[in-house]
Amino acid sequence: MPYVPNTDEDRREMLREIGAESFDDLIAGIPRELRMGSDLDVPGPLSELELTRHMQHLAAMNRVPDDVISFLGGGIYDHATAAAVGHITGLPHFYTAYTPYQAEVSQGTLQAIYEFQSLIARLTGFDVANASLYDGATAGAEAVLMATAISRRKKVLVSSTANPALRSVLKTYLMATDLELVEIPMDSGVTDVAALEAELENAGAVLVQHPNFLGLLEPVDQIGAIVSESGAPLIASVDPVSLALLKPPSEYGATIAIGEAQSLGVAVAFGGPLLGFIAAGRKHARRMPGRIIGATNDAEGRRGYVMTLQTREQHIRREKATSNICTNQGLVALAATVQMSLLGRAGLVELALQVAAKTRYAAEQLSLVRGIKLKFDGAFFREFVIELPFEAGTAKEALSDAGIWPGIKCGCYYDDMPNCLLVSVTERHSREDIDSLVSGLEAIIVSRGV
Amino acid sequence: MSGATERPDLVVEPTIFELSSPGRRGYSFPPLDVPPVDPVEIFGEDQVRGEAPDFPELTEPEVVRHFTRLAEMNHHVDRGFYPLGSCTMKYNPKVNEDVAQLPGFTRLHPEADEAHSQGALALMHNLATHLAAISGMDEVSLQPPAGASGELAGMLIVRAYHTDRGNPRSKVIVPDSAHGTNPASLTLAGYEAVEIKSDSSGRVDVDELRRIVDSETAAIMITNPNTLGVFESRIAEIIEIVHGVGGLVYMDGANLNALLGIVRPGEIGFDLMHFNLHKTFSSPHGGGGPGSGPIGVTSKLVDYLPYPVIARDEARSRGVEYYPDYERPKSIGKVHGVYGNFLVMVKAYAYILTLGPGGLRRVAENALLNANYLQRKLEGHYELPFKGYCQHEFVLSASRQKEYGVKALDVAKRLLDFGVHAPTVYFPLIVSEALMIEPTETESKRSLDHFIRVMIDIARESESNPEIVTGAPSRTPVSRLDEVRASKDLDVSWRRR
Repeated sequence: MPYVPNTDEDRREMLREIGAESFDDLIAGIPRELRMGSDLDVPGPLSELELTRHMQHLAAMNRVPDDVISFLGGGIYDHATAAAVGHITGLPHFYTAYTPYQAEVSQGTLQAIYEFQSLIARLTGFDVANASLYDGATAGAEAVLMATAISRRKKVLVSSTANPALRSVLKTYLMATDLELVEIPMDSGVTDVAALEAELENAGAVLVQHPNFLGLLEPVDQIGAIVSESGAPLIASVDPVSLALLKPPSEYGATIAIGEAQSLGVAVAFGGPLLGFIAAGRKHARRMPGRIIGATNDAEGRRGYVMTLQTREQHIRREKATSNICTNQGLVALAATVQMSLLGRAGLVELALQVAAKTRYAAEQLSLVRGIKLKFDGAFFREFVIELPFEAGTAKEALSDAGIWPGIKCGCYYDDMPNCLLVSVTERHSREDIDSLVSGLEAIIVSRGV
Repeated sequence: MSGATERPDLVVEPTIFELSSPGRRGYSFPPLDVPPVDPVEIFGEDQVRGEAPDFPELTEPEVVRHFTRLAEMNHHVDRGFYPLGSCTMKYNPKVNEDVAQLPGFTRLHPEADEAHSQGALALMHNLATHLAAISGMDEVSLQPPAGASGELAGMLIVRAYHTDRGNPRSKVIVPDSAHGTNPASLTLAGYEAVEIKSDSSGRVDVDELRRIVDSETAAIMITNPNTLGVFESRIAEIIEIVHGVGGLVYMDGANLNALLGIVRPGEIGFDLMHFNLHKTFSSPHGGGGPGSGPIGVTSKLVDYLPYPVIARDEARSRGVEYYPDYERPKSIGKVHGVYGNFLVMVKAYAYILTLGPGGLRRVAENALLNANYLQRKLEGHYELPFKGYCQHEFVLSASRQKEYGVKALDVAKRLLDFGVHAPTVYFPLIVSEALMIEPTETESKRSLDHFIRVMIDIARESESNPEIVTGAPSRTPVSRLDEVRASKDLDVSWRRR
């Protein structure tokens, strides 16, 4: 029993001090008939060596981009993480600390979160960001609750080009509320602006993802203008890497920016832990969900940091809190903070430019293959949709044997795109990787005689 | 003990922005091997940002030193005792951290084919099965990424269950000793919170419960043992009363550490519960997450679990035995974008396997033993509002110290001077000047004895030299911080001044 220091002698002595005959005395308050009659039915105990062997065996059953060339994305991206990130998040000072309830012995965690908030604020163009939310999908749901609390209107419009996972989680979060969820259809891969406009009357929140799930840039100026005019808060779901190059949400009329920041120094890790963020203008700070860290002074005038505006939160406000969130993604936010600090201004731009250039190269090369066409004409960032002359799953299976995963089947999320693949490219992909995707797909098309 | 000011001579660490110098870089990329692009050309002028985000510019050694200095300002479990009540700050085993870093887990994309992710899916299926065995629940969904998310999922399951029976009902009962997330979560699920008072023993007032339940009672949410460290010994009656009006009984599993191998909640009548893998099952708290809050239910509720549940079918297809099951038409849907906090699950799974059935039971036994030992040794020095043996935690009150002008907060701050983290203070709300103490099983008797000595010294100081307690802490990197100013002059993101 490697983690329990008490020896039998300690136990006897402690029981004596307590004045109990045996451990059974301590649980006298648990009626006997409620206690288990048998041992727990779980395996173990395993030694460290046996455990490691078992875990290595499980890990080896999974295939990862060291074994294959993968173009999977769809909101979770296989970027390279700087080596220093893991060394910082691996410091026990950070990872074995609790929520910073005692500020005087938690300044490290508090200042790091303050810096995370500052970086998110700079990316999105807003003043106030929180300490993190679970992921981009729940951030979307929290933002809708926040927006409708601001507008006091019940109709929630969500573009069908937003990530399906976000839309799905949103549905769950709204199922017990009196909010009405309306999906706005797409036109040529982006939000159908006319359809959006037709629904805007009395809308209490509008959520648009930019670049959207299909990789396309949304007409955000146009959307921002009509939504602002309607009085509904606009929620922009944004990709933080794209914000190195693209206009921040604060500049096209968004009230709230949310997103998934896994792409900044966090492993794909089978989809968790991820890193949701939320930012908004100062005047909405008191409606924001989750923890917010603020700077202040100590009794001697030194700068220090505390959890602030806690009267919004569940541990104070209980049923009247802005959200039920308590534990968030602290250590993941730290990872992103370190990664963003290492990238710096120039590194962030270079990352985004490499992603843009490689994505464009991949799209161009694929579009030269007879039988493949780009599904949409609009500008895109980091991923794009191709249409094949046959069902996309066929290509996926055939290429899988060659160690290439060409992308996500769009048909899983959109019924009218059975032959389409969503292809995602990061700075990790070499030109050779992209060329093998192109030649692989070409070979399948040729062999099928299409 | 000496109380002189001995604040370490630390310079306040500047923000990362103040350390920035133009032109520095901390990370480099391989040369671009495809034609470069011009953002204005490919995105259009109206889409492009005027100026790049104002990120700091530093080299790797500067970044590493900055965050290492910040790290050193933290108290943490590897350094010392952390008796935060209801937080279960137990030791986080190192091997769990290592196995969670295996590339086969960290680099696995959630859109990889089922056949290519069998190891991860098997792990999740096994973990859910073990959690079911430990809790007596019939099925577990690992999706909720934190305890509060598990509560929300649970309350939505309650709603879906009653809706199926014609009426979602309107009220959920919560004891006044409950965590704040309980009323916040049930509100999000469309219910009205009905608070029930605790009786003089710190338990749910059963007679009061009998009076307030009716056909609109959807559920009761109970933390057991509760936040006072007391087992709800009349739980069978409570369950019977709530079931009697057709309501469901939800267990907040925050304090499950006390029950491992002793009581299986599903066996004694609880209908559903959430687990906190970052409490009971040893995954680290990370300074505020990531956690994991799986939700388990008994058979009558399995249809409503958040999907996907990781299922097993040996005959499913070639190379696929484990798969995410979305074929659950009555499911409340997703509460996380993917499967939840997978790497946290890896650590919890490793923990269960390392301990095995006997080890898990010993966790509970030693958690109870340590808590009772502390309670016995401290009850002569601080008020103990609820007498008798406690479970894994107990609540003291600083009411005696208050006579000398010393509050619970002061005791908490003074503890920091001795390298011990403070207990949870002012919670539960029903105890004035509450100090809620949970030692966990991973503390040695030596560590508990140190804490006892410090607590007794602080009790003495409170009488003889109260200023030193009310002025604490004096040995931490900063002294007490001005929270009023923080919320009045809101400064939540750094700007050049």
